[in-house]
Amino acid sequence: MSKLIFRLFFSFLVFVGVFILIQNYLTPSSFGKYGHYRADAIEEAKVITPYFKGEEKCASCHQDIYDLKYSDLHSEVRCESCHPPKITAATECEILPPIIEGSIEFCGQCHAINAGRLKKGVPQLDIEEHEGSQNCIECHNSHAPWELKE
Amino acid sequence: MEEHFQHLYQALSQVDGYIYPNEIDLHWGLMIVLYPYITGLVAGAFILASLERVFNVKVLKPTYGIALLTALAFLLVATLPLVSHLQHPLRSYEIFMTPNPTSAMAIFGFVYLWYLMAVLLLEIWFDYRLDFVIWSKKSTGFKKLFYKIITLGINDTDEKSAKLDDKLGYFITVLGIPSAFILHGYVGFIFGSIKANPWWSTVLMPVIFLFSAMVSGIALVMVIYMVVSWVRKVKINMLCLDTIAKYLFYILIIDFTLESLDQIHRLYEAEESFNIIKVLVAGKLNITLIFIQILLGTIIPLLIMGLFQVYKPSEKIRKAAYLLVGILVLIGVFFMRWNVVIGGQLFSKSLSGFTSFKAVYSGMEGYFMTAVWLILPLLILTFLLWLMPPWNKVTSYQD
Amino acid sequence: MGTKRIRENRRNFFKSTIALIGGVITYSLIKPIEVFAQAKEEESKEDTSNLPLWGMGVDIESCVGCGKCVEACKIENNVPKEPFYFRTWVEQYTVKNDGEVKIESPNGGIGGLKQSVPSKDIFKSFMVPKLCNHCSEAPCVQACPVGATFISPDGVVLVDESYCIGCSYCIQACPYGARFMNPFTKVADKCTFCYHRITKGLDPACVEVCPTDARIFGDLRDKKSDLVKFLQKNQTQLLKPHLNTHSRVFYHGISSEVK
Repeated sequence: MSKLIFRLFFSFLVFVGVFILIQNYLTPSSFGKYGHYRADAIEEAKVITPYFKGEEKCASCHQDIYDLKYSDLHSEVRCESCHPPKITAATECEILPPIIEGSIEFCGQCHAINAGRLKKGVPQLDIEEHEGSQNCIECHNSHAPWELKE
Repeated sequence: MEEHFQHLYQALSQVDGYIYPNEIDLHWGLMIVLYPYITGLVAGAFILASLERVFNVKVLKPTYGIALLTALAFLLVATLPLVSHLQHPLRSYEIFMTPNPTSAMAIFGFVYLWYLMAVLLLEIWFDYRLDFVIWSKKSTGFKKLFYKIITLGINDTDEKSAKLDDKLGYFITVLGIPSAFILHGYVGFIFGSIKANPWWSTVLMPVIFLFSAMVSGIALVMVIYMVVSWVRKVKINMLCLDTIAKYLFYILIIDFTLESLDQIHRLYEAEESFNIIKVLVAGKLNITLIFIQILLGTIIPLLIMGLFQVYKPSEKIRKAAYLLVGILVLIGVFFMRWNVVIGGQLFSKSLSGFTSFKAVYSGMEGYFMTAVWLILPLLILTFLLWLMPPWNKVTSYQD
Repeated sequence: MGTKRIRENRRNFFKSTIALIGGVITYSLIKPIEVFAQAKEEESKEDTSNLPLWGMGVDIESCVGCGKCVEACKIENNVPKEPFYFRTWVEQYTVKNDGEVKIESPNGGIGGLKQSVPSKDIFKSFMVPKLCNHCSEAPCVQACPVGATFISPDGVVLVDESYCIGCSYCIQACPYGARFMNPFTKVADKCTFCYHRITKGLDPACVEVCPTDARIFGDLRDKKSDLVKFLQKNQTQLLKPHLNTHSRVFYHGISSEVK
């Protein structure tokens, strides 16, 4: 009787013991430092390089355009709202300048008439009625929208 | 990858109403349907076996061994659909290394291990130990080697050791019933505890899962008993079969009552989510829920078995009917899992639209793998029945 | 004599084995307790009230639905371009005169939301940017079986990409649909408030590019931050408050139609 129970119990203990050994060995070292997770994961989440650089970085080369924009209606619009970095080549804007067309569809993202956009301080235009097929920037200076060209 | 995107673009074109953009992809597919289904078969088969041992229902004796081996065969496969559904299957060991105590899914690994190692294997071992000793003397080759190893060197064949086996086996079975309840109630809790999903989030979910598990397990053992008897060309014990059917009938009634209670409760409370669930049940789930699960899987079996309680036709008709009932119930319960798992993901958590589900044939989540995971346990069972046939046992537990 | 020695050897062997296993078990019993003790110590040492507590305000009254934030998020965080994967997106709600509510978010709002309802039928319309709500009682963190998603000490819900097993349970648990399975990394993916940016003093990409300042990001503990001022000035509301997630994304000007 005792032999059978002893052997079974012994195998059970061995099993549990081996399990605990493996568990101690395979648990990542920083696990549980702050909570039930790998504390190192926090640092790992920080190491990515940001693509969007912020206006200060843009202004460091383009102070004139920044000042112009700042003095006009688009002062609240950030540089990279319209000029997102082109990341296919590199993150530095010299290598792949984030030039945009200023097409009607592009400006229409904010300015096309939409019932959900009314009374929000953003001028709304029926883009089909407004001067047809030309690009917006052919008449408007996008950095100072009321400054019409020609 | 391209194929997956094509699949999603197709789903995107079939979106009805508004769903959150991340919800187009159904994250849980056929594998997660299989997981509660197979686990349920295990729990059900085990409970049937325990029924006759603990509650001393002697007429069920011919199915005792089959039920235990069926439970084992399916339990060995139970986690495989889960692992094959993981995006990083090689990291699955983490669930044992750092189980999150607040996660309903994390403890499953331990519940599973406990059930496999401490309950099912032990119970089978105690039941067979004496036979292993005797068989190891009679047989040759692989079988002899296997029996020799599996006895763990305990070769006692005297009366006293047989009594001890019996006593310990009984103890394990008593321990096993709550374990089986935990195993499957727990699977229900994995779904029932998701408060974000109103189709899953109900207190009754574990109980419903448990009873439908019992229904499916009993039906499976019934069908396997008939098939095995037919293959072995032995006469089916009709009294035993009738009794199984009686239990199936009773438990199916409880199961159906609980499921109805759940739906009536939803219907009457008519919470925020009710509008979308109404459309879900009437639309996307009408075939799998109303036709297959309720009509084919529940009402028809109930009518047939209910009729047999008052009027018993000839054995031949009864056998055919039981086979039909068993298969219908098995299909019905499969689609019950389907309706829970897939149904719960078809409507958006924004409660204002539906996505669609289209299973694929190939890949880890396809029909092919589903068939593999359903056939594999049957092959294992065949092997187990060959290796340790319950009908060749010289001894059985004390009556 | 010989058998006795063997027996004694065996006994010694068992003794040492049991001692070893017993030691391991005792150690393992003590170890978790030790971890708790350490955690407590560290908490008292490393006072989290020095750390920022990040949050975001969303001003429905300012959002024009241009979709710049969605586009910027995809660029900044390498989110797959296909329209099934979004860390943030913008929904347009249109209440029609007959009371029907139409919700749209084609491609998450990238390229600007376009009104599909004829203006004569419109009762009102508004835009709602959505993102991970960074719940302080996060259902996804509760559900993760291995501890691969967590709330960082500064209040951001993050995913440990090298630890996630890809079971999708967190995606099922998120009431806001803010999580998705990244098809390339094969782990759960979600908004991190651009954790790599905010820890360097930058704004999250969506906040950086928002032309109407509809997203206000900041430290909830810093009484002078824009976010705290926004919360003091405006009435705000959480999404799905009945789920008790205590999220840290605050919506101002939200209407009852928002789901």
